[in-house]
Amino acid sequence: MNARLLMTTLTAAVLVALFAACFLGSTPLPVMRVLTALSGGGQPGDVIVVWEIRLPRALAAFIVGGALGASGAALQGLLRNPLAEPGVLGVSACAALGATFALYYGFAGSWAYAMPIAAILGALGATALIAFAAIRTQSVVTLILVGVGLSSFAGAAMALLMNLAPNPFTLSDMVNWMLGSVANRSFNDIAIAAPFLLTGLVLLFITRRGLTALTLGEEAASGLGLNLRRMRILVVLGAGLATGAAVSIAGAIGFVGIIAPHIIRPFVGFDPARSLLPSALLGGFILVVADIGVRLMPTSSELKLGVVAALVGAPAFVWIAMQRRAVHD
Amino acid sequence: MIELITTHLSIDAANAPTLRSVSLILRSGELIALLGPNGAGKTTLLRTALGLLQPTSGTSTIGGKDVMTLEPIERARRISYLPQIRPLAWPITVHDVVALGRYSHGASIGRLGVEDQAAVTRAIDACDLTRLSSRRTDTLSGGELARVHCARAIAAEAPLLIADEPVASLDPRHQHRVMTFIRNYVDAGGGALVVLHDIPLASKFADRLVWMKDGAVVADGAPHDTLTPERMKEIYGVLARISTDERGMNVTIDGPA
Repeated sequence: MNARLLMTTLTAAVLVALFAACFLGSTPLPVMRVLTALSGGGQPGDVIVVWEIRLPRALAAFIVGGALGASGAALQGLLRNPLAEPGVLGVSACAALGATFALYYGFAGSWAYAMPIAAILGALGATALIAFAAIRTQSVVTLILVGVGLSSFAGAAMALLMNLAPNPFTLSDMVNWMLGSVANRSFNDIAIAAPFLLTGLVLLFITRRGLTALTLGEEAASGLGLNLRRMRILVVLGAGLATGAAVSIAGAIGFVGIIAPHIIRPFVGFDPARSLLPSALLGGFILVVADIGVRLMPTSSELKLGVVAALVGAPAFVWIAMQRRAVHD
Repeated sequence: MIELITTHLSIDAANAPTLRSVSLILRSGELIALLGPNGAGKTTLLRTALGLLQPTSGTSTIGGKDVMTLEPIERARRISYLPQIRPLAWPITVHDVVALGRYSHGASIGRLGVEDQAAVTRAIDACDLTRLSSRRTDTLSGGELARVHCARAIAAEAPLLIADEPVASLDPRHQHRVMTFIRNYVDAGGGALVVLHDIPLASKFADRLVWMKDGAVVADGAPHDTLTPERMKEIYGVLARISTDERGMNVTIDGPA
């Protein structure tokens, strides 16, 4: 499949999924009524359901999945490891810790930007630590273990904050960030996180040629003329901004960043540069579809998107890890 | 014509073998073989000469510019580097690996300019890889892979080339093929500095042999002048006999001295 066909297919799939998210739900809206509501006409109730509830929610899922997919693809390119991903490396957990922190101290309520900034600071700290560990150790296993350590630490710190939560409302807010969900997101929530997220994606996109060069290893890549220091800083900043902003919208959602690039790679000749954009689209598509599933599932209280992503993603992670052992070691 | 000149290059670092005041000149049209036992500092010399390691004292210049102040991409346009360890993170195709050689010219492997594509095709031809061009690198044998890396280094069409053990772990036939590619590159006007462990191979292909021991250059000259039983004993600690006939020099190693 050539690059243009792949991008066209993915874009079409995303548009169909976003549209489907508007007419599927607890009260199904017929296609015609959705179309009328999208154009701003029709019954006021329909307009509210589509514009205020379903579309922002679907867009939030898409943006979050896109940021995680691109961050995963970029981190995998930088660390030259298909298991690298914001969730696995503890970046999402640290971002969620930052968000929880902002909630606990009530910053989030007093200033709208407190939440994304706190989440981004958490993500940047974790990404920088991972990149630093990657310079010191060439071992993939060590790196994953550092990520496991970071995740556990962030989890423990969040548990501590929950333990000390001043009231049940703060507690339930915190649980939401830990589990990950896009329910009740508004265009305003998206608009606050968007500048950070877009900056992150642009930074990642700038590094794409360097990501390909790193295929040959760091030594040969610097021989090719790659400025390794600059490369590391850009990817850390980009992945930190994008993941942090994503977490500030939806909380910690794992494994999207590992599955999307894994599916995309064979279609783009395993080139990390060419997998960046398609991975973002596929990551977004996966989360939009997963969120439709969450909304349609007839459970008494709605399942959290992050829980569903992990239920599907964790086995996929194990499968990818086991395949790698068979091929490379 | 671009020259690589190292002047009294010294390094005294905990994580690399030391270098002691190494001065060396690599010119176009010249193939230099860098010889010496393991740990003599050959790779350290190459990395320091390229500016990948900071020297404690001394300088290295490429085309008159100090490597420590040269932008990585500028340096890469003047000198191509084939490191000793060449892990491939992803199973990209032979063509794409070779296309990475054009990185310093601003090309990305998904979008090659006319000139880049021509250079890639020439390198693939020179290393006899046309038949394998669209194969994934994880399906190749060791010898094929070595030729792919060689083609990648040549595709840059930089005036100078540094190759760290390009023929290690290859069978004799492939050793000769890879060395022939490098010889052809030099005969076409390039300059190459190549680390080798095979002394007869070095004396056959190189114009100059540079002998290193304990971080210092012990001898530097044409094979006929520097390859002697005494030098083999001094550098490698082996007893060797050296015979010369019309086909070249031959070295027989009798055992440790």
